[in-house]
Amino acid sequence: MAKKQRTAGTPESQLPLAPATFQILLALADGERHGYAIMKEVASRTKGAVRVGPGTLYGALKRLLEGGLVEEGSERADAELGDDRRRYYRLTKFGLRVARLEARRLDAMVRAARQKKLIGTAPA
Amino acid sequence: MSAERIYRLLLRIYPADFRSEYGREMTLLFRDEYRTRDTNAIAFWVSMVWDAAHSAISMWVDVWLARGKEYTRTLEIIMKLAGTLAVLVGVFGAVNALAEAVAAMRGTLGSAHIVAVALGGAAGVLLITAGTALLRGTPSARYTATIALVASLAIILIARLTHPWMSSLSQLIGIGMPLALLVALHWPRGHDHSTSAA
Repeated sequence: MAKKQRTAGTPESQLPLAPATFQILLALADGERHGYAIMKEVASRTKGAVRVGPGTLYGALKRLLEGGLVEEGSERADAELGDDRRRYYRLTKFGLRVARLEARRLDAMVRAARQKKLIGTAPA
Repeated sequence: MSAERIYRLLLRIYPADFRSEYGREMTLLFRDEYRTRDTNAIAFWVSMVWDAAHSAISMWVDVWLARGKEYTRTLEIIMKLAGTLAVLVGVFGAVNALAEAVAAMRGTLGSAHIVAVALGGAAGVLLITAGTALLRGTPSARYTATIALVASLAIILIARLTHPWMSSLSQLIGIGMPLALLVALHWPRGHDHSTSAA
């Protein structure tokens, strides 16, 4: 059963997000996932450049739950991984707003870097 | 000893609450990661130990910050109770001084006694001021409370010198209470987290 969490302040007050935190929110943007699926999604999206260990992942999830950015979904087994029941996590509306704001913030920084010719004019 | 068992031992470096909430999930995740690892065992374990070490430090910092908040909250409650007590004692002292002043007007008290009564009344009013300031609890009110308590203490000491037969109970309350409140008010309490964001 999903646990309702309170939100901490405004979405803007959550910024900037730690890189690992933003990676987790990105992994949950498509829908709910369990810890291992989040870890794999982050590793495959970043082509292995970012690896989130169990401690970092659950430490970040704990804070995201407390801040109301993420909530727990159902607990169920993943057929591909065996019979063990796993906790699933999903973004809240508040978490989605925070993720969007962080994406816009990073986008503005990349645009500025492009204007300063620190990176190419066309997205890589 | 199996890898999973070693990892469970490694989890002991986390705070107990965190371990009981996420330990099982972390062990499951470790099991999946260990099964599908694409590096050699030493590199894998180095990454696991590094992950556990830095995330455990971060978790412990959270625990200590939460305890600091709890400690500050408890101190604030104690100071509110102390403030209420100071107001009550101050009112009692001031009323008592007034009663003795009435007696003095009827000519039953000597001049030294009258000075002591006036000083006792002033000390009572200062205790009320200090108690009210403690109940407000703002930084400026803490400063007011400190000044009022020091003044009250000084006045009671002067009253004790001018009126040597002051009762032991009056001395205990008149001297002991401002002293105790001053100590409580200025006891080191570390960083005050009550104003920081959640």
